[in-house]
Amino acid sequence: MDIRNTWANRVSDRGMLYLFLLPTFGLLLFLVIFPLIWSLYLSFCEYSANAANPPVFIGIQNYSSLFREKEVWDRFVTTGKFVLLAVAIEFLLGFGIAMLLNREFYGRGLLTTLFILPMMFSPAVVGKFFRFMMDTNWGIINYILGRLFGMPKIAWTTSYEYALYSLVITDVWIWTPFIVLLSLAGLSSVPRYLYEAADVDRASGWFKFRYITLPYVAPILILAVLFRTMDAFRFFDVVYVLTEGGPGYATQIIPFYIYKLAFSFWRTGRSCALAYVLLIIIIALSNIYITYLNRLRRA
Amino acid sequence: MKRLVLGVLVVFLLGTILGGVALAEEVTLTITWAAWAPMDTLIALAEDFTAKTGIKVKGDPVPWPQYHDKVFTEFASGKTSFDIVLPDSQWLGEAVVGGHLLDITDWFNEHVKKEDFYDTFIQSFCEYPDGSGKYYGVPALGDFFGMCYRTDLFNDPEEQKAFQEKYGYALQVPETWSQLKDIAEFFTRPEKNLYGVALWHAPIPTAGLTDEFLAVFWSFGAELWDPVTKRVKGYLNSEEGKAAARYWVDIYKYCPPGSANYSMDEANTAMQQGLVAMMGTYLAFYPGLVDPNLSLVWDKVDFFPTPREKEWYVQLGGQGMSISAYTPYKKEALMFLEWWLSPETQWKWAQAGMFSCMKPIVEDDKYLEYAPVNKVARASYPHLKDYWEIPEYNEMGTVMAEILNAAILGKYAPEEAMDLIAEKHEEILERAGYYK
Repeated sequence: MDIRNTWANRVSDRGMLYLFLLPTFGLLLFLVIFPLIWSLYLSFCEYSANAANPPVFIGIQNYSSLFREKEVWDRFVTTGKFVLLAVAIEFLLGFGIAMLLNREFYGRGLLTTLFILPMMFSPAVVGKFFRFMMDTNWGIINYILGRLFGMPKIAWTTSYEYALYSLVITDVWIWTPFIVLLSLAGLSSVPRYLYEAADVDRASGWFKFRYITLPYVAPILILAVLFRTMDAFRFFDVVYVLTEGGPGYATQIIPFYIYKLAFSFWRTGRSCALAYVLLIIIIALSNIYITYLNRLRRA
Repeated sequence: MKRLVLGVLVVFLLGTILGGVALAEEVTLTITWAAWAPMDTLIALAEDFTAKTGIKVKGDPVPWPQYHDKVFTEFASGKTSFDIVLPDSQWLGEAVVGGHLLDITDWFNEHVKKEDFYDTFIQSFCEYPDGSGKYYGVPALGDFFGMCYRTDLFNDPEEQKAFQEKYGYALQVPETWSQLKDIAEFFTRPEKNLYGVALWHAPIPTAGLTDEFLAVFWSFGAELWDPVTKRVKGYLNSEEGKAAARYWVDIYKYCPPGSANYSMDEANTAMQQGLVAMMGTYLAFYPGLVDPNLSLVWDKVDFFPTPREKEWYVQLGGQGMSISAYTPYKKEALMFLEWWLSPETQWKWAQAGMFSCMKPIVEDDKYLEYAPVNKVARASYPHLKDYWEIPEYNEMGTVMAEILNAAILGKYAPEEAMDLIAEKHEEILERAGYYK
């Protein structure tokens, strides 16, 4: 048999490349690109996926009506508060814990493992745990606060004062370990000899942190904050389980509202429009972070 | 040799074909319903159906909070993993308008004796739109909103004396919502960790605030809308509607602290743990309240119908039994419905402690022996009333639940809340084209 005439030999390297790419591209097209384009089209339509009627093109009405409604703005404000609070606390706490863990002491490995455990639980399960723990009447948190400090019962998940904070606390519990992990990776990459040299020069702790530690870990910290911000904007499962968006709609952050619009009210077109608005916000914020990250790298 | 090979081949092919036919004949019907005791009972009873027909039946239970969304997400995909579904009454319009339920009108007219059932069950579980004569299901579980109370507290002579002195009438099962509020106030003793009443206040449309508030709302003489024009303003926010909202906000003072998110589980737990003197729930949940493994006060509870005020209406719960429009086993599913409606099955259902929708069973005194809640069912059924069954019900119910939930926490005055709900409801109905 003349191997020069086999089918495989007739295919060029570039052709082989496309052949290998084809299944992946097909899957991407089917599972990601098509739904993306289709949902973009639906965002300009009056459409309910649950009804028998086909989509009716209505231009930018879904988008314009979104920005006219106070309830939607309220939910954006709630989302902004949640993201800002959760990410800021996670960043400060996570980096602080990483600094403490970044030194030699007995049981460091075990402690580090314990610290990153929360990240491994399903957020829905954590939400359920916190719902029990934060229960006004039977929750362990109120019990401890009452026994130790004589505090009255706090309605953690059902009062306007505390409900949003209950979500922030839960998110901080789950995701602070993520910042810890990335910060530890950054901290361990700082060369030891720089600290030794600074010690010889009798540099202060603040000086070492400001001029050695921070420049080394800043890029990875920015990345960690970027990931957390993107993720916090998509926060859904804990809200669904812990507060169900209440009291009233006080803890309905945008992803939860999109879910309600899409699968409870079946306003598919409108929910797609809101999802695109959220996507644009996340992309814009990510770009700000990435620009800053690039500037840091160049510096 | 060739003949032998050919023979083996023919036998193999025949075996495959016949085996395939045999497999094809083995039908398994899948039923989806909420994950609760009635579902377990239905699947256990269905063994009789399998024994009679050879058709297997399996259950696909879904937790209550996810039940609606799971079923309708499958409907929206145009293919369902279930053949039979037990939808809440208010889902009927949503499911029928979307073309998701099998139209069984002809079969229904031939097989169902309507006079055997209470009218509300036929209207709410089977017919859409009301009065159209088009049927999409059969009555299944005659659930309703009722009340549970602590007999040890109510029958305590000391408590009775103190109550009589304070309110000027005897402490007994309340006949009006006003009396219920007095009793709730009387038993509210935070220092003893005891509160008057647990009600569903969760800001969700199903199994939340809307269900329980409407029992009060209707009994105060209010209406959701004009049944002809569908106009809401002047009905929902009428003086009666606002009085009902004032009552609802007021009674929250006698509910356990932090109970603004109470739904079925939380309210049941409050009763089971002895935190409250009374509790409102759909009474199909009663088994957990009299189970010694689950409740600290299992032997100290009894049940009563939701009270009257100006009028007497009881909020309908429960589900009908419908067939998915997408099932390949329509004939078998109809056989199941026929088996289900047979008096023999219905009696077994009742004997298992479940609510039957059949008048001859409910009105038979033997029925009262099967469950402690059956006396309440018999008293409540003539007063049943249901809310919107149009496809927009979920959004309307959510608006009502969220705004009233905010009102009990002081965000809105009750009157302001009802005006706002009426306005939002008209916006939803306008958008849906009801005012053309």
